[in-house]
Amino acid sequence: MANPDSNPSSGAAKPATPEMSRRGFFVKGTAVAAGLSALAAAMSPLRHLSADDLPGLEEFLQKHYKEMTPEDKTRALARIQEHVQRRFGVTAKIADPPPLDGVEFVYGLNISRCIGCRKCVHACVQENNQSRSPEIQYIRVLEMEKGSIDVESANHHYDSAQVPRPDKWYMPVQCHQCAKPPCVKVCPVEATWQEPDGITVIDYDWCIGCRYCEAACPYWARRFNFTEPQIPAGDLNANMSYLSNRPRRKGVMEKCTFCLHRTRVGRLPACLEVCPTGSRKFGNVLDPNSEVHYILKHKRVYVLKEEVGTLPRFFYYFDERGSRYREPIAPVNPKEAR
Amino acid sequence: MKRAQSFWVPLVLFAGAGVLALNPVPFESPVVSVTPLPARVTDSAPVRQPKLVPEYRVAAFTYQCSDCHRIIPSPQETLRSLTQHTEITLRHGLNTRCFNCHHRTQRDAFVDDWGEPIPWNQPQLVCAKCHGPVYRDWQAGSHGRINGFWDTTRGPQTRRKCIECHDPHAPPFPPMRPAPGPNTLRMGPQEPPRHAAEHDPLRVFAPDRAPKPSH
Repeated sequence: MANPDSNPSSGAAKPATPEMSRRGFFVKGTAVAAGLSALAAAMSPLRHLSADDLPGLEEFLQKHYKEMTPEDKTRALARIQEHVQRRFGVTAKIADPPPLDGVEFVYGLNISRCIGCRKCVHACVQENNQSRSPEIQYIRVLEMEKGSIDVESANHHYDSAQVPRPDKWYMPVQCHQCAKPPCVKVCPVEATWQEPDGITVIDYDWCIGCRYCEAACPYWARRFNFTEPQIPAGDLNANMSYLSNRPRRKGVMEKCTFCLHRTRVGRLPACLEVCPTGSRKFGNVLDPNSEVHYILKHKRVYVLKEEVGTLPRFFYYFDERGSRYREPIAPVNPKEAR
Repeated sequence: MKRAQSFWVPLVLFAGAGVLALNPVPFESPVVSVTPLPARVTDSAPVRQPKLVPEYRVAAFTYQCSDCHRIIPSPQETLRSLTQHTEITLRHGLNTRCFNCHHRTQRDAFVDDWGEPIPWNQPQLVCAKCHGPVYRDWQAGSHGRINGFWDTTRGPQTRRKCIECHDPHAPPFPPMRPAPGPNTLRMGPQEPPRHAAEHDPLRVFAPDRAPKPSH
């Protein structure tokens, strides 16, 4: 657009009376108007911005979870409670239970018994206030051919009339709470870390949503909030904690925390409570009388992707026999057996 | 020539901006509205809720087992064709005799290996007669449903007994309808998965390694 007519001379020696032809003025004016309209069109999504989309000043100035004093934490919890009240109209009970001394959580899952009913998936969504739309689910149940553990060809979209299907077996995968978590290693802002009881947590207010952790996780256990999570107010679980199931906002990661708002006060996680088969086992591995201690000591245990060296705290185990995978002893119809 | 060009560029920009401002291709969000879950999905009740009492219900009446069996003798060796209790289908593998579990004379009890009665509310002792390893695992907690608190110093724990999941007369765990599958943005409906052998670069040289449909 080099137009000698319209360009005021750059030198200071010229007089301060810019000469502009009518044509030059029209061209420039059109260019400016076009530029401004393009800018306005590009910025127009900002019209839909509500006050909730931006962090308040207090949230903006909030420190990292580990650097907060008890007073800071109290203030942060009060702020979150007020936010939940405003957004959902629910009076939430928000706590911040600390890790227990002498407790290291371990999960066991009996893959001889799991029938793939996916109840754990939805119990988890309800308990942890995940977005219902788009769905965010921490647990994926893989359906695989019997006789192999081929996760690459596993199907998590199975929709048969009844489970278990006779020639398939099922393997729920969720966060393995690794002792050497690659997701923690890659986080550029240290928004995620491993707690003394073995649970890897996220400070949702510190996460910048870069999704490095999602890429680093070999179990695909981390989920990203691409949009503002939609949760019907009636479905909100009011028992919340800062590091686990308080409502998240758009653009942050989230993950399974072994339901730490439950487990750190002695209760069992929600996925375990709902499991109809009792395939899920949870407890303190440092307690020699716990179920998980027995499982690790006496049962055949399988570690998913053991070779990547993440040292998971989630173990799959098998029963010797008498599992649902044996053929029925008596044929249903004796004529067919012959 | 130069002037004409410089005139058209902003005009095109302007027109483009105008078209964009009219929002010609409205954004269609892939996010669908929330679909409520069927109640069966979140139901955490055990699959069976037997009363651990020796009761038998006929129409509106409830009897103790011994009420009838005090006067009605049962055959010495039960056969598979019953004249009574026909609502029970016995599909317990090789265990096809009533008196393997039920006591012959004390009808309000089960029977152990020495002919002694086992109270009705302790069915796990009956199952343990044959299912030793499972009973061992159940005692240790690695088999069976446990609900409530993992830390029993902080709250109660419910340990379900065998027959709260298994029908003693047809023990395999009943199949059920699975909950709806994932429909997340990244996990939405996809192609059926292909077997890893389809990607095997050597498959053309070894026909027996050719992929076979797996799903």
